[in-house]
Amino acid sequence: MVTVANAHDDLIHDAVLDYYGKVLATCSSDKTIKVFDTDGTDSYKLIETLTGHEGPVWQVSWAHPKFGSILASCSYDGKVFIWKESPENRHWSMIAEHAVHSASVNSISWAPHELGAVLLCGSSDGKVSVIDFREDGTTTHVAFPAHEIGVNSVSWAPVTHSNNAKDTSGNTMSQRRFVTGGSDNLVKIWHFEPSSNTYVEEATLEGHTDWVRDVAWTPSVLVKSYIASASQDRSVLIWSQDNSGKWKSTPLKDERFSDVVWRCSWSHSGNVLAVSSGDNKISLWKEDLHGKWESAGDVEQ
Amino acid sequence: MVKIEEISSTATFAWSHDNIPLLVTGTIAGAVDIDFNSTSTCQIWDVFSKKKGGKPDVSCTVENKFYKLAWSKPFEGRKRGVIAGAFENGSIEFWDADILINTKDLEKASIHKSSKHTGPVRALQFNPNQSHILVSGGSKGELYIWDAKTFSEPTVPGHAMTPMDDISSVAWNNSVSHIFASTSNGYTSIWDLKSKREVLHLSYSGNGAKSNFSCVAWHPSQSTKLVTASDSDNSPLILTWDLRNANAPEKILEGHSKGVLSLDWCKQDPELLISSGKDNSTILWNPISGIKLGEYPTTANWAFHTRFAPAVPDVFATSSFDGKIIVQSLQDTAEAAAPTAPSNDEEFWSEISSKETQKPKFHVHQAPKWLKNTSSVSFAFGSKLVVVRSDNPGKSVVTVNKTKIGSSIASKDNLTK
Repeated sequence: MVTVANAHDDLIHDAVLDYYGKVLATCSSDKTIKVFDTDGTDSYKLIETLTGHEGPVWQVSWAHPKFGSILASCSYDGKVFIWKESPENRHWSMIAEHAVHSASVNSISWAPHELGAVLLCGSSDGKVSVIDFREDGTTTHVAFPAHEIGVNSVSWAPVTHSNNAKDTSGNTMSQRRFVTGGSDNLVKIWHFEPSSNTYVEEATLEGHTDWVRDVAWTPSVLVKSYIASASQDRSVLIWSQDNSGKWKSTPLKDERFSDVVWRCSWSHSGNVLAVSSGDNKISLWKEDLHGKWESAGDVEQ
Repeated sequence: MVKIEEISSTATFAWSHDNIPLLVTGTIAGAVDIDFNSTSTCQIWDVFSKKKGGKPDVSCTVENKFYKLAWSKPFEGRKRGVIAGAFENGSIEFWDADILINTKDLEKASIHKSSKHTGPVRALQFNPNQSHILVSGGSKGELYIWDAKTFSEPTVPGHAMTPMDDISSVAWNNSVSHIFASTSNGYTSIWDLKSKREVLHLSYSGNGAKSNFSCVAWHPSQSTKLVTASDSDNSPLILTWDLRNANAPEKILEGHSKGVLSLDWCKQDPELLISSGKDNSTILWNPISGIKLGEYPTTANWAFHTRFAPAVPDVFATSSFDGKIIVQSLQDTAEAAAPTAPSNDEEFWSEISSKETQKPKFHVHQAPKWLKNTSSVSFAFGSKLVVVRSDNPGKSVVTVNKTKIGSSIASKDNLTK
């Protein structure tokens, strides 16, 4: 275990490693984002502090390295910033700003790289936005209502390499599918509908009795596809589709967690779920051979 | 401002405790419409449903106008809670919210009616910890405690320190269920139902003017702290108190230019308080630091009642004597957003006519507590797990952990080292 000491002056809300597991980005209520490099060693050295947000920064998300060394951030100030590291001098600068939401942007997620440089955002204004960064340097976005009262979390479905992965025009739009969680206690599944050229709600999953704080779709197609949803009601539900396509949920454990469940994250292979709760406990979970979820230990403090 | 709904009615209201909350409204006593319409209605609104086109779900005509409404949390046998209404003639009526919503009939939903009070009842509140217990405050210092399960004879809280006049507000303590506060004669009284008497009596004079306490609210979790405000125009102050020293207020919140009529302390974040008053304004405060955070667009007449939606504090409503109840979001960053250039003339005119002329002014942008996750977790390449935990207040620690999950065999062993 390596501790990144004194990273910020206030609460830290998110910390993520880049694609190669080397560069760490953190964001905080102190309105800044910090980038640390391991330098091949076990210690993390601060290389840059990114300022510009006017409120707490809730999440950071790394783009796939094929697009460059690019980080997105979202904040209470209602904005999404895109930051890029110059390959020559390792200097970071803001390359794009998106102010399409009218309230706190609570969650961001880059699409699987096969779908292009596409960023998904969820906001307290109740809307989800999808931003497309095209190769010619232009950007387009769409925003649409997703959850009454507010969207707390967004997560992309993995890309399946089936026969219909690309339509005849080589367009991957029809592969776009994601999950959102909101303050209406609901989890919703969405996909792009080429016939209407819009994102449509595919399913609404009811099961939580309080705000849905986080949703996470398994990132790998090598295992069965699951969605984990973490809630203020102190439970985590694991959702999967049965043969008829209907979504069913299994609670991660029978009893409630001892506090609010804030975040959950799947391992890259998709078979272990890490869960963090308000009491600072981090637990790992794995599916057994009978489809039941069992504890795989806690991450010690 | 993200205005969610505007209800055209000079009415008091109460929120339900649902995550998609409903609003019950009742025509306010002591005011007349422009057309001198004297009918009184009780309505239920689903303000988040865009499909209904600004129409109430339930609308019933009642004989008398209302002074106050209260909506309890669900309790045994009352799955959507109980609505209590206080009428201008002094009667109090209780309705089953579920029956009212389903039958749209006040008669069928009525579960109890009482004319115990001898004059108008201006204050009502259900106990936050014992959902079926209600306190009502009327004229001549009448205070009654009701049990909405049994409807046995209401009890009185005990002896007052000084004779009281009309009760203008009541508030239950949020952690000690037998303590409540009331305001009357410009004083704030603290009552203990166990010792059956008024245990504290607060008053304040500053800068040569006496505060006339008209409303009171308790800290969401600390039982000894409360806030009370004055409706006198020459001392329009909001004062926070720690009752361990009831001689002087802790903080004085100055910002209203005329008397304060309503207060609500956010249950989910003690650093958020809303107030409204005779200066037609609604103000957002941090009552802990004593800082004014922002002001919402003013109404054209007194803003007499303001409340957070209890389960969705991102949303609050304010009713005013200009015939409106405005439901709006607490947060707004629209002013910071880049204006979108209208692409053609038609768009320009439709936008300019639909746009609010007034915008809320935020002096300090303060993120609410409920958005601030205190822990986080994310997997990375090589089965590394990045963990964020909160440490001391306002501090976090980030660790990068190596997990052994690469081996696909499920094991009960601790996977981390």
